[in-house]
Amino acid sequence: MSVLALEYPPINHLFDWPAFLFEGTPLAVNKTVLIYLAATAATMLLFGLAGRPRQTLVPSGVQHVAESGLNFIEDSVVMQTIGPEGRKFMPFLTSLFFFVLFSNITEVIPGIQFPATSRMAVPMLLALLVWVIFNVVGIRSQGFFGYLKNSLFPPGVPKALYVLVTPIELVSTFVVRPFSLAIRLWANMVAGHLLLVTFAVLSAALWGATYIGAALTFPMLIAMTGFEILVSVLQAFIFTILTAVYIGGSMHPEH
Amino acid sequence: MRPTILSPGARPGGHRNRATVRRLAAAAGLVVAVTLASTSSAWAAGETVGGCVLEKVAEAKTEHGSLDAVKALPSEELGELEDELEGCIESPNPIFPALDEIIWGGLAFLILFAFMWWKGFPAVKRAMDARSEKIRADLDAADTAKADAMRTKTEYEAQLADAKAAAAAIVDEARAQADQLRQDLQARAEADIAEQRARAAADVESSRRQAIDDLRTEVAAIAVGAAERVVGASLDADVHRSLIDGYIDEVAGAGSNGDGS
Repeated sequence: MSVLALEYPPINHLFDWPAFLFEGTPLAVNKTVLIYLAATAATMLLFGLAGRPRQTLVPSGVQHVAESGLNFIEDSVVMQTIGPEGRKFMPFLTSLFFFVLFSNITEVIPGIQFPATSRMAVPMLLALLVWVIFNVVGIRSQGFFGYLKNSLFPPGVPKALYVLVTPIELVSTFVVRPFSLAIRLWANMVAGHLLLVTFAVLSAALWGATYIGAALTFPMLIAMTGFEILVSVLQAFIFTILTAVYIGGSMHPEH
Repeated sequence: MRPTILSPGARPGGHRNRATVRRLAAAAGLVVAVTLASTSSAWAAGETVGGCVLEKVAEAKTEHGSLDAVKALPSEELGELEDELEGCIESPNPIFPALDEIIWGGLAFLILFAFMWWKGFPAVKRAMDARSEKIRADLDAADTAKADAMRTKTEYEAQLADAKAAAAAIVDEARAQADQLRQDLQARAEADIAEQRARAAADVESSRRQAIDDLRTEVAAIAVGAAERVVGASLDADVHRSLIDGYIDEVAGAGSNGDGS
């Protein structure tokens, strides 16, 4: 695709990867799938190595990374949003955080350069999973009608306002939440990937035309690469903490 | 001596040069890596339109034997092939999730969650809790040891104070005994001196008496001899002695009275 005399790849070519295994079947394997499998393997490897019986008193290496991750999830996510009873969700939230993080961070890893979460499939799937979990938790904690009542008629709101609040709560809690959760992650990673590709294509084109021309775009590309590392971590954190907020809200309607 | 390249004194400078070269090489490597890492986004494109068309045509050629056979296909099949080729240009809906990615992604997350729930999380958490417990136990043990040490120190200090008091009492007692001994020795020495003085006085008195007796005897003999020469008479020796003794006693008594003693 030629944009302002610049050969820019079509957008779908930046995100749609051809299958190289089981092509044409529902189990087709492409680059995106490989990244998901690698994210799973990386997390399992990290915690498998960190959980070995031979532990040191002062953690280092993978042990330090895994333990810092757990402490981060526990202190900054679970204790801040759910409380001590939220510790039972630690395995789920930790899996979620590291899976999304490793799927995001491939955006800046040389040779991969693609965030798997810029494809809608897994963000949507995870968001639906979160939707099911927080609803089940709400029903188990408060009972079906109690959960519905507390969700649609928030306590402390003047009764006259329920006419306005209840439809909003119905839509926001049961309809919008999974979409907002999925689209936030997906759109951020799509935008990040487009930014990186744009600056990379621009730098390459300008470098070929005039070396001076790339002096502005190339530093921007480096800066954007650093920025996207931050975005990758931040989006994983946001996805995880929103999940915890939804679960905490279902467990404690007064919050 | 000014250090040269070959002299040992030049070694620190050589280390510095090598370190500088290493740093420069590392910086250059970092720049190259960042450059490659950043610019490689330009190649992060998936399937191209040309590649897709080539692939579809190759598939059709394989299926029907040759390109001529493909061209000779009935219009309906040819239309289907054209639709497939146009599909290479059309962008797939980016929001619509691909089924294969849902299946594989879901499976991957399921496996990860199962592993984390079964082994990964409990193992790391257990290790963290064990370490926290060990640190807590060590701190408790350190507190206990510190309290024991403080108690022992207090006991030792009390014992030391007792020992000091006992030592002071012993010293005082020894000092008192020494004073008593000194006084006893002094008294005994004074008594010995007095006794020796008395004994010396007695000796002096005895010597004086002996001297007086000797003198008396001598004087008596001289007097007798003198009297004999004067009177020429022969007197009995014993009578003479008694006469002379009586005279001397008178003289001695008169002498003593004259001395006032």
